[in-house]
Amino acid sequence: MSAVTAPFRTPGGAGRSTVLRLGGYSLRLRHRTLAAVLGSLAVLVAVALWSAATGSTPIGIERVWNAVIGEGTKGDEFIVWTLRLPRIATGLAVGACMGLAGALFQNLTRNALGSPDILGLTQGATSGALVAIIVTGASLQVTTVFAALGALGTGLFIWALTRGGDPSGYRLVLVGIGTAAILAGVNGYLLTRTTIIDAFRAVYWLTGDLSGRDWSQARAVGLVLLAGAVAVVALSRGLDALRLGEASATGLGVPVGAVRVAALVTASVLTAGAVAVAGPLAFVALAAPHIAARLTGSSRSFLCAAICGALIVTAADAVAVAGIGDRQLPTGVVTGVVGGAYLIWLLIAHRKKGAMS
Amino acid sequence: MTDSPLAVRDATIGYGRIAISEDLTVDIPEGEFTVILGPNACGKSTLLKALARMLKPSAGQVLLDGRDIHSQPTRAVARRLGLLPQSPVAPDGITVADLVARGRYPHQGLLRQWSREDERVVAEAMAATDIEDLGSRGVDELSGGQRQRVWIAMVLAQQTPLLLLDEPTTFLDITHQIEVLDLCAKLHREGRTLVAVLHDLNQAARYATHLIAMREGAIVAEGAPAEIVTADMVEEVFDLRCRIIDDPETGTPLVIPKAGAPVPA
Repeated sequence: MSAVTAPFRTPGGAGRSTVLRLGGYSLRLRHRTLAAVLGSLAVLVAVALWSAATGSTPIGIERVWNAVIGEGTKGDEFIVWTLRLPRIATGLAVGACMGLAGALFQNLTRNALGSPDILGLTQGATSGALVAIIVTGASLQVTTVFAALGALGTGLFIWALTRGGDPSGYRLVLVGIGTAAILAGVNGYLLTRTTIIDAFRAVYWLTGDLSGRDWSQARAVGLVLLAGAVAVVALSRGLDALRLGEASATGLGVPVGAVRVAALVTASVLTAGAVAVAGPLAFVALAAPHIAARLTGSSRSFLCAAICGALIVTAADAVAVAGIGDRQLPTGVVTGVVGGAYLIWLLIAHRKKGAMS
Repeated sequence: MTDSPLAVRDATIGYGRIAISEDLTVDIPEGEFTVILGPNACGKSTLLKALARMLKPSAGQVLLDGRDIHSQPTRAVARRLGLLPQSPVAPDGITVADLVARGRYPHQGLLRQWSREDERVVAEAMAATDIEDLGSRGVDELSGGQRQRVWIAMVLAQQTPLLLLDEPTTFLDITHQIEVLDLCAKLHREGRTLVAVLHDLNQAARYATHLIAMREGAIVAEGAPAEIVTADMVEEVFDLRCRIIDDPETGTPLVIPKAGAPVPA
């Protein structure tokens, strides 16, 4: 088996790590990152189970488990497999996509506020969805496709505008903010050009919601997540080196331009997939990487950002289903409140300098 | 063809459509400590950026081991050529040991994250730059001189026979400037080929074994300091009238500006 050593010990344990070696292969595991990933994963599983057990017909964890392994009653299996699991799975995948996209954008822009909401991708998705809802009066499926196209188109647009010139993160942020402003105007115009009924449907979509999602949507966003995760794994070393600045990264052998473009495309695809299925759930892409950075003590863990994104959406959706009184809420209402409150609490509780750089 | 490990051939180098240097040809001699010097905006940092493949010439080539540097895999280049940029960025809260370890990037992979070799080389790089005791300190707590030694250690951990340093002494006080230059001289004696951009003419003349003097994007003189540092050369490159005497410490040329020195226009 492999040798285990801990070469670097730093005060506070933040940098403590274990190295696993086997032949020519080696893995370096930071203890705190590992603890953060395992801890948030455990909470995520617990929240997902709780979410499956509660709702308009509470059935309890035990009956959920029996239904999952195929030993429940027909009624329980219908509730779990047809009503609840698709919605939970969709929420998990949407949240993970948003967490990854947010982490990518924050890395790319070297800016703590770099997120698809600031850079205009969310607004682009909204424009696509509005066109589908208002102009074509379309179904959810068509809206989904249009929203994805809107986000992707916006991603391409910012890339085209930042290409060639100074590729610093600052420029990307400014171009994104400009794009977002233009699209917000377009969206406002589209809303004024419609009937009150279509406008209501549009506003509901704009809030973001997971109700009524089935396995086909869970599968679609799951595939986007899978593709995005593979790309992130491939890009993670290069992005990490880019945190030393473009010059040092070039010196270390990172193909800087290619890594940047690939990261922008990946983040756009992840955003498109998530927003298309769930609508622009507020704040997830922004908050998830920050929460992950607080938990891991560094902003290097994409895995933890994905788990935190999934956790925010799943927890928010469980709360949304429980609702206020007997009224269910749109998921997006809760993600904003839950994600925002948690982030502010973390900032106050730690009172440290922002971990993103 | 050329014997030098790093060379520029008939290159036009600049930013966007603005050319700083046109038709530039340079050979970096192997095993020498080359210093590029010249007045502000003479194109010395631009040349270094081209050598470090941060800028791609719009015409001509930069050759590493005789082949176009831009046609070689970036990782393979990074195992031959290390770069200390002018203002590198340390991620918030990173420790010295972690930062030096980043120099191993071109030798690592997704499934080869921290080999015994990495561990040994990083320890050696920290010993060579005399920062072994700082390993667990945060980079942002260090003094400017210590920080520069940490960055040099990171580049050393890259284990490249060629080192490029873009103004490594800028922003340091005189003691730390000499400390960094002495370190560079030691690395050169150990067999590495160094190329540095420096501002200080006397430091360049004392530490370099090969000088490249530039003005307005072109090379005015190149060669050993004792041969090319003359009053005429300094006047031509810097518009400065001066006397040249032997440095009483090292015997290298020492530039003494004349009183009321600037050349009348």
